[in-house]
Amino acid sequence: MGALKNGLRAIFLRLEALLEAAFGARLNPLTQLGTLGWFLFWIVTVSGIYVYIFFDTGVTQAWESLDRLSHEHWYLGGLMRSLHRYASDALVIVIFVHALREFAMDRMRGNRWFPWVTGIPLLWFLYACGITGYWLVWDQLAQYVAVATTEWLDAIGIFAEPIARNFLDSERLSGRFFTLVIYMHIALPLLMLLFMWIHIQRHAHARVNPPRELAIGTLVALVALSFAWPAMSQAPADLDRAPFSLGLDWFYLAVYPLLERMDGRMLWLLLVGGSVLLSLLPWLPPLKKAPAARVDLENCNGCRRCFADCPFGAITMMKRTDGLAFEQEARVDPDLCMSCGICVGACPTATPFRRVGHLSAGIELPDRSMAGLREEVIAASAGISGDARVIVFGCNHDADSARLADASTAVIRLPCVAMLPPSFIDLVLMRRHAEGVLLSGCAGNDCYERLGDQWTEQRIANERDPNLRARVPRERVAVAWNNPIRQGALREALTQFRAHLGGLAAGAGPALQPAPGPAAWRARLRTLPVPARYTGQGLVYALVVGLVGFFATQPAYTYLADDRALLKLSFSHAGQPLKPCRRYTHEELTSTRFSERSATSCERGRWPVYVELDLDGQPLYRATHEPAGLWNDGPSSVYARFEVPAGRHRLDARLRDDGSDGGFTFTASRTVELQPGQNFVVEFRAADGGFRFGLPAQDAAGRETP
Amino acid sequence: MTLLKWQANFRIGIAEVDHEHQGLIDLINSLHSALGQERSGERVEAFLGEIFADISAHFALEEKVMRDRRYDALAEHKADHERLLDELRDLMDAQADGAVLDDQRFAAQLASWFAGHFQTHDARFHRHLAR
Repeated sequence: MGALKNGLRAIFLRLEALLEAAFGARLNPLTQLGTLGWFLFWIVTVSGIYVYIFFDTGVTQAWESLDRLSHEHWYLGGLMRSLHRYASDALVIVIFVHALREFAMDRMRGNRWFPWVTGIPLLWFLYACGITGYWLVWDQLAQYVAVATTEWLDAIGIFAEPIARNFLDSERLSGRFFTLVIYMHIALPLLMLLFMWIHIQRHAHARVNPPRELAIGTLVALVALSFAWPAMSQAPADLDRAPFSLGLDWFYLAVYPLLERMDGRMLWLLLVGGSVLLSLLPWLPPLKKAPAARVDLENCNGCRRCFADCPFGAITMMKRTDGLAFEQEARVDPDLCMSCGICVGACPTATPFRRVGHLSAGIELPDRSMAGLREEVIAASAGISGDARVIVFGCNHDADSARLADASTAVIRLPCVAMLPPSFIDLVLMRRHAEGVLLSGCAGNDCYERLGDQWTEQRIANERDPNLRARVPRERVAVAWNNPIRQGALREALTQFRAHLGGLAAGAGPALQPAPGPAAWRARLRTLPVPARYTGQGLVYALVVGLVGFFATQPAYTYLADDRALLKLSFSHAGQPLKPCRRYTHEELTSTRFSERSATSCERGRWPVYVELDLDGQPLYRATHEPAGLWNDGPSSVYARFEVPAGRHRLDARLRDDGSDGGFTFTASRTVELQPGQNFVVEFRAADGGFRFGLPAQDAAGRETP
Repeated sequence: MTLLKWQANFRIGIAEVDHEHQGLIDLINSLHSALGQERSGERVEAFLGEIFADISAHFALEEKVMRDRRYDALAEHKADHERLLDELRDLMDAQADGAVLDDQRFAAQLASWFAGHFQTHDARFHRHLAR
């Protein structure tokens, strides 16, 4: 698992570097997958509502209403329809890459299991939405989806009668099931909405909306795709014919072709088992986590800064418990705490200037105390020399800042750079422990601890408490956000920073002029020229919507070869009672209370139905079907589908429903002419005299040519 | 010698803030008397460092209370807090660089700051609460 994760992470980091060159860190789509998903969800919702206004919910009019929308109303209705489809497809890509990336970056283990696990039902809802959506078009693809889905559901074996029989032939088609599917297609997105809300419950300050530029780019790209390649219906559904070839949406329907090669139950098992395995991933293997942050009530007055800064909602403000006049105290939930230390960096009592007794902040990480950090800073300062000494405060996920250590550079690494209280920078610079402080964190806008980079920048810029005191010269504080593969960029930032510090010293006047500029110093790293960046962004959008447009219908799926037809044997028939009913005798009747009397005594329980079907004299189907119902007194149901060569065939059907040893209750034979692509149904209705081959007209024709 | 004296008109009517105001004055006094006459640089530094931490924490709490109560003059009030903390840090740095802490001047500085702050900013907040 570790090797897989590391390999994936290496790929992601390189891809991200590539995208960052075009988009910049703030707009990097790979760090905005969750927000992009949210944005796409709303494109799908809004376009869906629009399409629904013009959609005729009757099964026979659905196709026509959508076809009209696409052709007569192409500039808006057709656009909305295409957006509805393509944004849904893009959503699949975004969600899968999102999940894969959180896995690769190891952001789903330990106390971060919650968004991972709650994301899995979302996947199921998403797929159910997509499948029911394709159903509603009622074209050939919808027909295929309807038949394959109901057959697949029947494989579970929980329905008394196969629901696939709803789509057996044109005679039987009713709007009933179709209406159910429409309700599901509306209800499921609402469920998704609920689960998306749950999904981000444990993220304080969850990023929800993508940056505007990215949202606009995404929308424009999807609109362009919609006009270039409008989403259209396939030929209208005709249950009496089976489609030969289908433009399958591989984002949603990729597993369907497996149903032709695999038992439906097996596929359920695979998908359910896969989902269970996925939801266990956060514990494979369990994360060895540092102990959770601890509140020291003696130093906590309930000022709420740690509560405001915790990225994981692990801190709650509770009613004071120690009798002091304060209203609240902070409490850490160890089941939510990631031990990142950001709360410590927010605590006003975490200053290195305290010397009385034991320096303890109001909130501390047990294995990384502020007293210890102070000692580290003093020792680090003592170990470096030169006239541009730099103390680097790095984090565990940065571009390996430990490598920067040299004669004039000391490195102190923390779980997250935002664990550093700004007063430590004050100490280092104002007490001249170094000439410069470099804060090195992991990727900007993609902090491993979610908000470390943001809080650090805001504290330096005087936008967030605790801020770096205005008297501390900002030109001696540098920030550098680099993911692990950007070691060169980090080194370059340090080199430039040192040169900059040298310049400050050489410049006339005292080196430590108070200069409360809000921003920290930043390295000027090489970036691509603007035209190249926009070209790069365009290429990325084109590539993604190209993928979306292509796999939305390509490659075509061959459902049925040109010279084949479908033969279905399906009916529902109640076998004979195990024992015939008998009339009560006069004595029995008189001994029964008047209100409980009935004429006959019938035992529950029926014989199973045994059925045989031969094709051209060869056995095609033989099976015994047990009666449904807890008392075995329901009808026996048969549903079987065969692919047969088109042409003239002789069919012999036999049925036994009375448990007798030999012989059949019903037999029938026909010679039928199967057209290529025909969907031919052999049925049985005892009331109508037994087997029926095809639609009434076909059956009558078959009778005449024995 | 008592460095600072609590005065009834310091009270602003929020239990936790008053409690801390009083506590701060007590702390400054007790730290100061503990400091005694033995003025090694390290002890003075520790004395100031502790005061700095406690005042920082107190301001954090007071600003929280003000934010909770939508105090319209929070920005000015906070600026005054920042000014005191900056002055305190200047003093700490000067002391660390060898300046001798002048009790009388320090006491007068703190007292005048407290009195000024209480009388203008805290009183204004008090009026805001009464509204």
